[in-house]
Amino acid sequence: MTPEKPNRWRALRTTLTAVVVLVAYILAYRGSFVASDTPIDLRRLFSVELWSKGGPLLRDFLTPDLVDREIQPVTLQLPVPVPCGSAENGVPATTGPRLVPSVPCAAPRDKFRVEGFELQPDTELQLRWRLPSGQYFPGPFITTDADGHFSAEFEARPIVATKDGVPGQIEVELQVEVGAVKLSRAFFDVLDGVIVTIFMALIATAAAVVVAAPLSFLAAQNVTRRGRVGTAVYYLVRTVFNILRSFEAIVIATLFAFWVDFGPFAGVLALTVVTIASLGKLFSEAVEGIDPGPVEALTATGANRLQVVWFAIVPQIVPNFVSFIIYHWDINVRISTIIGYVGGGGIGYYLAQMINTGQDNKAGTAIWAIVLVVWAMDFISAEVRKRYT
Amino acid sequence: MLEVQHLHKVYPNGTRALTDVSFQVEDGEFLVVIGLSGSGKSTLLRCINRLIEPTQGKILWDGTDVTAASGAELRGIRRQIGMIFQQFNLVKRSSVLTNVLAGRLGYVGTAGSLAGVWSSADRASAVRALERVGLAEKAQSRADALSGGQQQRVAIARALMQNPKLILADEPVASLDPVLSHSILQYLEQLNREEKITVICSLHFLDLVHRYATRVIALKDGEVVFTGLPQEIDKARFKEIYGEDAIEVKAGLSA
Repeated sequence: MTPEKPNRWRALRTTLTAVVVLVAYILAYRGSFVASDTPIDLRRLFSVELWSKGGPLLRDFLTPDLVDREIQPVTLQLPVPVPCGSAENGVPATTGPRLVPSVPCAAPRDKFRVEGFELQPDTELQLRWRLPSGQYFPGPFITTDADGHFSAEFEARPIVATKDGVPGQIEVELQVEVGAVKLSRAFFDVLDGVIVTIFMALIATAAAVVVAAPLSFLAAQNVTRRGRVGTAVYYLVRTVFNILRSFEAIVIATLFAFWVDFGPFAGVLALTVVTIASLGKLFSEAVEGIDPGPVEALTATGANRLQVVWFAIVPQIVPNFVSFIIYHWDINVRISTIIGYVGGGGIGYYLAQMINTGQDNKAGTAIWAIVLVVWAMDFISAEVRKRYT
Repeated sequence: MLEVQHLHKVYPNGTRALTDVSFQVEDGEFLVVIGLSGSGKSTLLRCINRLIEPTQGKILWDGTDVTAASGAELRGIRRQIGMIFQQFNLVKRSSVLTNVLAGRLGYVGTAGSLAGVWSSADRASAVRALERVGLAEKAQSRADALSGGQQQRVAIARALMQNPKLILADEPVASLDPVLSHSILQYLEQLNREEKITVICSLHFLDLVHRYATRVIALKDGEVVFTGLPQEIDKARFKEIYGEDAIEVKAGLSA
C-alpha cells in the first residue's frame, strides 16, 4: 500500500469539501431549532425560512473575528430641567456625538423629541433619564441609521423633576472603540486551540508509533507466522488491530471522555488507540512487502531471528515507515479536530463551544483556522513524503 | 564431508521438488549441480542449510545430523556454511561494509550487534574480505549503488566473514553478464583451491561447468540422473539431462 500521491490541488479540494460539509452540518444543526421535528423534505433545503436564518449565519462565518479595538463605554448626557426654570437649561454641543432635544426644558408629562447625531451607525442604543438621585430611569430602545442619527419621542416623567437644584438629564450610553486595531481575543484563542490540536496529533502519533512498530512485526506473516506459537501470535495481534480499527475515532474519544474526563488527554488517548490500529496495519503490510532475499541470506549466515529482523528487514522498511508516520500525523490533525468537537480539547472543542453559544464570528475564525491548518499539514506531509521516498 | 541421504522434498502444494536424492561431497571439492530450471537445484542447496525443510531424508555434515538440529545448534551449523544467491540478496539500503559485517552475525552477541557495535577484529576482517574481492574503496557506498557483478562480490565477501568450510552458490552468475561470470567463478575457484573451502554451485552453462567443476551431479525432475566428472558429459548425456530438444549454448569468452 502506498499513501496517496502528493497533489496540492487534490488536497485543497478535499479540504474544501470537508469545509462545505461542516458548514452544511452547522447550518442544519442551527436550522433544526426552527422546527425540531423535521421530516425529510428536500424543498426545505431551499426554503426561505432556512435561508433567512442561514444567510446571516453564513455571513458571520465569512467574516471571522480576527481583529478588534478596545471598547470603552462613553455616556452622552444633557440636562433637561423639569419643570422649566427649576434649573439651568442644558446647551447641546454643535459637533461630535451629541444629543439634541426639541425643547430645552419640559413640564412633567410633556412629550418631546430627542435627536442623536454622529453616533455609531446601525447600532441599538437605549435612551434613558439620569435622575437627580443618580439612578436612571429606562427609556425606549432606538436604532441609529447609517449616518449614526436617530430621532425618538421621549416623555418627561414626574420622577425626573429637578430636586435640590439638580436637574434630570437625558442620556445614552455608547460603546466607543479607542486605541489601535489589534488581533482579537478570538484570534489568540483559536491560535491556542490550533496549537493544542497539532500537538495532540503529534503526541498521539509518536505514542502510537512506539506501540505499533514492534507489534507490526508480530502481525507480519513473513516474520511471525512460523510454528504453532508464531501462528497464534500472528492471528492474535492481527485480530486486535482489526477490532481496534473497526471503532470510529469519535466513538473511542467519547468513551475516553467519560473515563478520564473531557479534554485534550481523552482526545490524545483516543487518537493513540486509533493510530496504533491503523499504523499497525500499514506497518505490518510494509513488513510483508519486503524483498525476502536479504532475510534468506542473513538466516543462512546463522544470524538469529532478532538479528535478521534488525539487519535485513528494518533497513528496507524505514522509508515506508517514515512516510506512513508523517501521513498519519496529518490525518490525526484532521481527526483530532473532530474529536475535539465531542469534548477532546483543542480547536474542535473551541468551535463546538462557539457554535453552541451562538458566537458565529468566532466559530468562523475557528473554521478558517482549521481550513488553513489542514491544508498546510496535507501539503507539508505530501512534500516531505515526496522528498523522502 | 557432506552426506546427503535419500532426501525428499514435497512442497505443501504437492509439488515433488526432490525425490530420493543421495550423494556425497568430499572436503575441497568444487561440485556443480546442473539441470533445467525447476529441476530442484535451488531446493537441494537450500535443504543443505535448512532454509527449506526437507520432507524426508538425512543430511550429515562432518558427522552432525543437520536435519535433526534446531535453534542454536542449527545456527552454529549455518554459520560454517556460506551462501551466495542469484539475486545477490544484499540489503540494498545498507552500506557495503554493513552488508559484509552482517556475515559475522552468527558469531556475535545479539545485543551488541543490534546496537551496531562491532569488534575491531571483525571490522578489520570485513575490510580484508572487501580487499580480497577488490572492493575496499566501496566500503561506505550504499549496496544498491554498485553494479550487479560488484554486488555479487560483496556477497562473496559476506560469505567469507563466516569463515565457511562450505559455500553454497545458487546460480551465482545467472543474473550477470557472461563477461562477469568468469570473474565471480574465479573468486569461488580461488577460495576452493587456496582456502580449501568446499563449493557446491548450481550452474546453467555447460562451458562454465567444464571449466570450474571438479565433479558434477545432474538433476532432472528432482532426481539425480548423473554423477561424475565434467568431461563425462557428452552429447548423449547432455540430451539425457536437458531433454531431446536442447541445444548447448555457451556462456562465451572461455577463460
